[in-house]
Amino acid sequence: MNPLISIKSVTKSFTKGTTTITPLENLSLDVPRGEFLSLMGPSGSGKTTLLNLIAGIDTPTSGEILIDGNDIAKLSRAQLTRWRAEHVGYIFQLYHLVPILSAYENVELPLLLGNLGKSERKKKILSALDLVGLGDRADHRPSELSGGQEQRVAIARAIVHDPELLVADEPTGDLDRESADSILNLLDTLATKHEKTIVMVTHDPKASASAHRALQLEKGQFIEEGHLLTHA
Amino acid sequence: MKLLILAMKNLTRNRLRSVLTIAGVAAGMFLYASVQTMQHSLSVATQSSADDTTLVVYRENRFCPSTSRLPEHYLSTIKRIPGVKEVIPIQIAVNNCGASLDVITFRGVPPETLKQYNPGITVIDGSFDDFLNRTDGALVGQHLAERRGLTPGDKFEAVGVNVTVAGIITSDTPQDENVAYVHLPFLQQASRIGLGIVTQFNVKVDSSDQLQAVSDKIDETFQADQQPTNTRPEKAFFAETAKQMIELIGFTRWLGLGAVFAVLGLVANAVLLIVRGRVKETAILQTLGFSRIAIGVIVIIEGVLLGLIGGLAGVIGAMGFFKFKAFTLGNEGLTLALTPSASVTISGLGVAMALGLLASLYPAWKATSRPLVESLNA
Repeated sequence: MNPLISIKSVTKSFTKGTTTITPLENLSLDVPRGEFLSLMGPSGSGKTTLLNLIAGIDTPTSGEILIDGNDIAKLSRAQLTRWRAEHVGYIFQLYHLVPILSAYENVELPLLLGNLGKSERKKKILSALDLVGLGDRADHRPSELSGGQEQRVAIARAIVHDPELLVADEPTGDLDRESADSILNLLDTLATKHEKTIVMVTHDPKASASAHRALQLEKGQFIEEGHLLTHA
Repeated sequence: MKLLILAMKNLTRNRLRSVLTIAGVAAGMFLYASVQTMQHSLSVATQSSADDTTLVVYRENRFCPSTSRLPEHYLSTIKRIPGVKEVIPIQIAVNNCGASLDVITFRGVPPETLKQYNPGITVIDGSFDDFLNRTDGALVGQHLAERRGLTPGDKFEAVGVNVTVAGIITSDTPQDENVAYVHLPFLQQASRIGLGIVTQFNVKVDSSDQLQAVSDKIDETFQADQQPTNTRPEKAFFAETAKQMIELIGFTRWLGLGAVFAVLGLVANAVLLIVRGRVKETAILQTLGFSRIAIGVIVIIEGVLLGLIGGLAGVIGAMGFFKFKAFTLGNEGLTLALTPSASVTISGLGVAMALGLLASLYPAWKATSRPLVESLNA
């Protein structure tokens, strides 16, 4: 079976002043469908750059990024935006919910881009909120939620349009242990029960341990392949 | 519609900033609409149209009512000129010949011919018969009555003329709303001009295409007389006589232009602040799949809403102000009623909306032009 993500000889470099920085160099990686992959590494190792490339937020200097067989490195900025709207759910470290919108309205944001009617949107939103355990908090604004709850709303926002790929940048980095564990369990459920492919960047070894596979990045190269967990 | 709702919610984030911006826009658009009202009122008073059939016969080379003195007996001569439908001799007494906001103008007319000459006059309080029966009776225009707090039976004095209010009138001619009609012989004596002398004759001709021929004939008739005349269509007479007022109103164009630029700068500044304060959030929305166009549209809607809400408050405020305050500009005995109009209201709202749109174009471009990764790291 073809992997959902297939990265081939990707290099990303950019110029800062007179210096050229290459956070990723000739990197290759395959991620099968339904895998929960964690990327670890010190600051500046290139893990967030790689995550941004996989999510179609950034484009590589060279190489191919095949997602479900499509090379997204060749897409224009507008095409990438449309592609992200359909295929990617992004989970940020600091949740980044819109403060003036309720949990329901925040989760609704990705659906505003499509042609779904109000009742169809409502069904999907309530289903996503139920999945993250916040069905009873739909009317709450972010300021009325705890950090863990905010991240759950952010996850609901990331999955509401049913993307096959979820990318998470330090999703537990701003949470206490209990909330972090709960979020990691949720991500694991999404991968195993809902067949989402998840790529997560983390500094936290415990968070990394909850993934199916962990990769260590350093200076733009994979240096170690971690455990491979099997799930029932 | 979905983006409109999002943009409206965005405006409630920093309510103080939104309210201050809207208040600033409202002030600017109030000024703009006021200037436009003046321009429009002047345009209505001075621009000739195909329906114009009135001529004003004035003393040649005179511009102030106190210096234009014509013999009243010209009346019978003018009446006989072919094409003349109605003539009314008018004596004018005014408290201030210069351009002023509080002008009181007495128009002395033969009382029995007033209705025949000016059928558009309607008595809304008091009685026309009282006016006919009292030699010191006055029919006071509605706006003048409101300004001076006059009701039927009141006595009032101006320019040394004491009159009793017989009725309050309204008219389809805006200028009538700001004058007091009195008996001609009474005004001739009270203003010490003397019987038999009038300021001007207003002449109605059978059709507008006869205006030129009749005016030429009138001036030709009295050319060799001791009091030669200068006859012009009423609107041309207004445009040439009230030059001081016209120059003053002309100057206000610059104020209107200044108001437009102030609104433009205010909205642009507010929307730029909004955009700068939401760099990361804009990037988040783009990450979620919002296109640059969608983001730009949200920003533009916010700018247009600020302009439109402020414009609505300012323009409606200005229209209400002119409706209830009944301002009148006077010059050389002519009055210009500053009356609100639907066209000024609609154009004011259109300008406010256009300014909001224009002011938010650059911020909209700014919001979407930055690389996404850079914005996410901001």
